Parts: sequence; C-alpha cells; structure tokens
Amino acid sequence: MEDFLELTVSATASGCIYALMALSYLIVLRPTSIINFAIGEWAATGAFVGVGVLTTLLWPRLDAPYPVAVAIVLVVLGLLGWAVERLTVRPLVKRGAPVTSPILALLGVLVIFRETLTLLFGADPFPSPPPLGYRRLEIGPFAGAPQQFFIIAVTLTIFAGVWYFFERTVWGRAFEAVAINRRAAALMGINLGRVTALAFAAGAAVAGMAGLLISPLTSAHYMMGLPLAIQGFTALVIGGVGRVEGALLGGLILAFAEQLGARYLPIPSGLTLAFPFSLLILFLLLRPTGLIAPREVR
Amino acid sequence: MSGPPLIRVSGLSKRFGGLTAVEDLSFDVGHGEILAVIGPNGAGKTTTFNLITGMLTPTTGQIELDGQRIDGLPVHRIAALGMLRTFQHNMPFAGMSLTDNVMIGAHRRFSASVVDILLQRSHVLAEEKQTRARAAELIDFVGLGHHLHADVTTLSFGEGRLLEIARALAGDPRVILLDEPAAGLTASEVKRLSTLIRTIAANGVSVLLIEHDMHFLMPLAERIVVLNFGRKIGEGTSQEIAANTAVVEAYLGSSINQLGQGGAHA
Amino acid sequence: MIRTFIWIAAIIAASAIAFVLGGYATDVYRKMLIWIALALSYNFLFGTAGQVAFSHFAFAGVGAYGVVILSTKLGLPFGIAFIGAMALCALIAFIVAVPSTRLEGFYLALATLAFAQLFTVLINEGGDLTGGTGGIAGYSLPSIFGLQLRGPWYTVVLVLLVAGTLLLLNRLDNSSFGRACRAIRENPAVAAAMGINVRRTKVITFTLTSTLAGLAGIAYAYTDNVINPPVFGLENVFLLLFMIIVGGMGRPLGAVVGAILLYLAPFFLEPIVGHGYLVIFGILVVLAILYQPAGLAGLIDRGLGLLRPRSQS
Repeated sequence: MEDFLELTVSATASGCIYALMALSYLIVLRPTSIINFAIGEWAATGAFVGVGVLTTLLWPRLDAPYPVAVAIVLVVLGLLGWAVERLTVRPLVKRGAPVTSPILALLGVLVIFRETLTLLFGADPFPSPPPLGYRRLEIGPFAGAPQQFFIIAVTLTIFAGVWYFFERTVWGRAFEAVAINRRAAALMGINLGRVTALAFAAGAAVAGMAGLLISPLTSAHYMMGLPLAIQGFTALVIGGVGRVEGALLGGLILAFAEQLGARYLPIPSGLTLAFPFSLLILFLLLRPTGLIAPREVR
Repeated sequence: MSGPPLIRVSGLSKRFGGLTAVEDLSFDVGHGEILAVIGPNGAGKTTTFNLITGMLTPTTGQIELDGQRIDGLPVHRIAALGMLRTFQHNMPFAGMSLTDNVMIGAHRRFSASVVDILLQRSHVLAEEKQTRARAAELIDFVGLGHHLHADVTTLSFGEGRLLEIARALAGDPRVILLDEPAAGLTASEVKRLSTLIRTIAANGVSVLLIEHDMHFLMPLAERIVVLNFGRKIGEGTSQEIAANTAVVEAYLGSSINQLGQGGAHA
Repeated sequence: MIRTFIWIAAIIAASAIAFVLGGYATDVYRKMLIWIALALSYNFLFGTAGQVAFSHFAFAGVGAYGVVILSTKLGLPFGIAFIGAMALCALIAFIVAVPSTRLEGFYLALATLAFAQLFTVLINEGGDLTGGTGGIAGYSLPSIFGLQLRGPWYTVVLVLLVAGTLLLLNRLDNSSFGRACRAIRENPAVAAAMGINVRRTKVITFTLTSTLAGLAGIAYAYTDNVINPPVFGLENVFLLLFMIIVGGMGRPLGAVVGAILLYLAPFFLEPIVGHGYLVIFGILVVLAILYQPAGLAGLIDRGLGLLRPRSQS
C-alpha cells in the first residue's frame, strides 16, 4: 500500500508533465489545426534556460532565485514561440498553403532548436537545482520528492489559469471561436494573426515550464525533447483534442498506465517503453476523438 | 419523357440534428433530359446533389440509377456508375496539370489494375494515350484549349467552371450534375455554356442543374423542380413554371424575381 | 527505344563507378544508393500521395531484421528468407495501413510514429532473436545460384535496386493510379466524387512503398553485414523527410537530388561546422517550405527552362 501511494505521487507528477505538453499542443492546435512537434525542443530549451539562470552555467555570478528563473523561462519561451510563428507559420498561412506545410516547417524548427542546444551545451546532462530542496516530503499518506509535489501544484495552477482563460475571458472566447470556425471568427472581427501568434507564444511558454519543472528529476539534456513531445501528444490523443480538461486527464492516464505497468506487470522493464505507443495506437484506432469529446459546434 | 427514368428519387429526407435540410423529396430524371433544381439559398439544392452523389447519406428515402438503388453506396462507387458532378465552388486539383485534372474525371473508365501498371501490360499505355487524347479534345470542346499548359490555380473563375465541366465529362457520365455552372461567367461564356449543355444532353447524357440565373435557365431546362425549405413546392416544364410564377411567388415571396435579377447581373 | 537505351547506359555508368571506387568511397557510394532507393519510395508515399508517415525506416528494419533472422537464426535458405522478409513487410504494412489510412490528415503521422517507436522498442528488447541494442552481426550473403556477390558486384546489386525502384514507381506515377494518388493528396473528397476509391488507393500506396522500403532494408543488411536498432529509428526518418522537402516533393528527380545532397553534405560540412550541419539542414527545410516549395527539382526545371530557346507562351 505504501508502495502504491508512493507510485501515485510519482505517476501524478509525470502525468502532470505530460499534461502540460498536451496542453501546449492543444493551445496551438485548437485555433490553427497545426500539430507543433517542436514543443518537445521548447521544453528542453525551457530546461536549459532555467538551469542557466539558476546556476552559474551561463554566468559565474548568476545563481538567480527560482521565481526569477520562472519569469525568465516564460518570457524567453514566449518570445521564441512568437518569433517562430512570425517567421515560419504566418507566411505559410497567409499564402494559403495546406496545413501540412507549417507542420513540416515546424519539424525543421525542431531540428534547428535541438541542434542549437547541442552546439551550445554539448551532449552532457546538466543537473538542475530543485526549488524546494531534496528532503523527502510527506503530505498525509503521500510521500515523495518535494519536486514531485511542486510539479503537481504548479501544473494544477497552470491548468486552472488556462481553463479560466478559455471559459471566462474575451480572448479565450476568441480562441474558441477561431477553433470552431476560422472564417466566421474573422468576419466577427477577430484578428486571426494575433490569435495564432498568441497561441504559439503561450504554447511555447507552457512547454518551457514543463521542461523547467521536470529538469530537477531528469537533468537538462539535449535529447529530452522528443520523448516529451511524443508523450505529450499521446496524452492529447487519449484525452481528446477538444478540451483543456482532456489534456490533464490524458496525461494522468498515460503516466499511471506506464508506471503501474512497469511496477506490476511481469514483463521485462525495457518493454514497458512500448506502453505509451501501444496506448497511442489503441486510442487512435478505437477512439480517435479521445475520452473527452469536443463541444458540439453551436 | 418516355420509358423508365434514369434517376428516380423517392421520399428523400436529410436531417442534421434538429435541422431538416431536405424533406420527402421525389422526382425523376429521364435519359438525356435537362432538369433544373431551383429555389432560394438554403432551400436544400446542394444538399440534394450531395445526397444523390453519395457525399451525404440520406436519413430516409431511396435513390435509383437505372433501376439500381444507389443510396448508401460510397461516393466513388456511385461516381463509377457514371454519375459525375461539378462543385458550387471551383475545386481543381491544385498541384496537377490541366490535362491531368480532366483525366481524373475519366478515372472510372480505366480498367488497368495496379499489377497491370507495374508490369506495364500493353493495354495500360494504350488506355493512357487514348484518355489523354480525349482529355485534350474535351479541353478544346469546353473552350480551354489555349490554357492547356496553364497552372490550374491561375485560371479565372469562369475558366475554372469550364474545367469542372470538362473533368466531369471526361468520365463519359450517364448523368452529370452541375452546381451553379453559370455563376460568375460572362454573357458570352453563358451562351457558350448553354450550347455545351444542349450538346451534352443531345448525346443522351442526363443533366441535373442547380442555377439561379433564370435567363440562362428558362430556355434551357426541359423541366424544373422548385425547392423551398427542403420541400418540393413545384414541378413542371419551364413554361409551366414560368406561367405559374404567381403561384410560385405565393410560396417563395419575391425570391424568384430576386434570383432572376441576381443571376442577371452576376 | 531511346529511353530504354538511356536507362541501360545510366545503369552501366552507375555500376562502372563501383569498380573505380575503393575502400571508404565504396562504402559512401553504397549507403548513398540505399538512401536514394529509400527516398524514391518515400517520395511516392509522402510527396506524390501526400501521406505523412514516419514508419519508412521501421519497414526497412522489418526487411533487414526479417531476412537476417529468417536466414541465420531460423536457418532458412536465402531465397526463402528473402521472400519471407518481403512478405512480412507487405503484411505488416497492410495491417498498419488499413486502420491508419482511415484516420484523417495528420493522425496517420501519429499512428505511424507510434508504430515506428514500437518497432524500435521491440528490436531493442528482442533478446537473442534481434540481438538487443547491439543488433546482429557476423553473417554474410550466401552465394545465390553459385554467384558470390561481393565487392563491386554487390554495389551493382544496389544500383539495380535503385533502378528497379525508380522503374516501378515511374510506371505508377505516369498511370491512372499515380494520378489518383495526387488527386487524393490535393482533395480526397473531390477525388472520391470522380470515382476514385480513396482508402483502397491509400492502402495500396502505403503497402507498396513500405515493401519497397523493406527491400532497401534487405539490401542494407548485407552492405556492412551488421544491423542495429538506431539505424531504423526516427532520426533517419526525419532526414528522409528533409531530403524530399529540399529535393522537391512528388518528383523522383527531387528525391534523387535531395538524397544525394543531404547524404553527402555532412562529409563536406562536418570538418567546417562540426555537428552544426544539422542546424543548416533544419534551416534549409524551413527555407524550402517557405520560398521554394518545388524544391531543388523546381530550381533545376527553371534552370533548364532558361537554357531552352523561348517559345511563345
């Protein structure tokens, strides 16, 4: 039982990271129909920026406090997302290119980001200092690393914020309107370009946060991006691409399936890597709309 | 009209959620007949075309082609039976040449299987050559001959309409469905189009037509079906429909007049 | 007639190179030929038919692992192992294609990506059968009908692989089938209204091109007589995709030019910029999509057009 409770904490924490990646996809996908595989590299960039600011990696006297690092990651990634949209996506959308064009261009962007990280930081992982230290934390019956609790708390805050944005603010409504019908939204006076740019900036910021949050557990590493990107869209497909809650649910289901399978199923540990892919295939085939269906078009 | 009809639509309905787009619609189309479907915007004309061609599945009702039920068949099967259409908005295949665009319409007439193609059996090349030659003829026939090497995305709207017709004709259709073929054409192009449609019908091909331009339609259509709110509110020869304008107006308000004017200046 | 002559001349010329080269250059030349073969079949799938699939190298892996396992681990004669590996590719491709071509647009990419990753996990964890992370080595191509295909003669086999792939795909491309593929790429709904069976065409295309990838994989297995998992992973699929985008989507010429350029470029770029050449590839891809969607093949066309005397148009 104790074992199970500990697993619950660690699975919830991983699930939260997957959920943030899924959320990053969703924020871009809803208004633009673009699946942005580059977000994995944006998470890695977030991790490196965070480590750079928190330690003396970039500058001998930096050692900034954690909130400053969070702010810098959000701003830097937001700007990067905005710049990528401006430079690669907008010209294609303006030209009326098919939706695969920006998706493929973003694969190019993925490689540019990853290889730039490799050039800057090399192939060695960089440890990232956790904001709450290393002492094992117990909350009621649950126990785990403080970073795991921190991840859960921050993720829930982000999801609450994004949910509020979509459900309660004018800008969020604009996003939804664009998601449902681009042409009609444009006729209603919504600036499509601005919505798209904001989606990329916000998506990049969320991905960057996911990278920063997971870096104390995995270290910042140039190869961390692609697995996160894949786990993120697996979570997205499981939860459904229509709703913010779906991303959270999908992330949690994926993480629990992974960790329960690794813990209790009598198969070699390497094969548990096959779990998310099998789950992804299963969902694509049996329930391509995901668990939480999108709202009916009104 | 003599003999059994080529198309028989009976009791056709289509509901989208709570919205009824087409309700209890029945009509026949004879061999080589030109039948027009008219009505105000949102009357269910394009939905009817989509139902007949299988792009939508009817909620209730039957559609027969030459005595064979085709409702519920997949789109490509219905097209393969010789029912080809044009679209309300031009839908060229952007990354392909004009000739290839037209040749796609002839897809149903190819007999070569993938294995034949891979082994390059003799009839494969012959078929290809024949179809290519015929596509060139059709491009001339509709009047796009001088655009043979143009990028299809650079065609004018009117030329795009003609490409749509050539593409549908390439398949030697038994029925051709034209969704607003005259929209956006110049007066001389409209005239050409009338001649074209008469020639098509004279060759025994049935023509189903959605059109708003009454000046174009009235002398051309042999019979007219009038739709409003998805229901048939009138049917007859174009003379009968023209004579009964008063009756139609009672149902449609002034929309027929509006339509006529709308078509005239378009 | 003239075309047949040109084909044969090209094959002889490409084969003759094999006898001139030696040592490391031979190795580079062989790998390049395999990349070209893979790029050609991937171009048909992705460029011509518009199916964004990430499984092409996984199918090369099915071919390579299939033939080696069947012939060395199960001790089957090479001919049977070869046919068995090809059949396995076709079967798995068909099983993957039937459900995933039902999915709309980019979901095919997700499904094939999951399949490719699954394949990598399985060959890494296959124990004795697949040799795990180390792969399988120490086997060699047995003599076929008393012929020992070694040295430059094996390179000739690879030239024939490229020629055969090109010939088959050209036939498809210039037929009603190839036209149907392109129509589906542009607009599946309109293609169906013209009588094209969209799903059937997609399944055939996926199965056929994936089996051709398997064939190239079999050829690869006997190039170094070593196979291991990283070769068949996602990284190489990305490179393949980039070759097609830079070369020109939907054009065999583009596939060949793109494959040669991106395969050879690192040999020249690495001494200058080290690993940075991948950044250059990424930038090339973005630039190609933004400013030159017809790729290098489009540039070549334009160049030839300038050379040709202007006709009235």
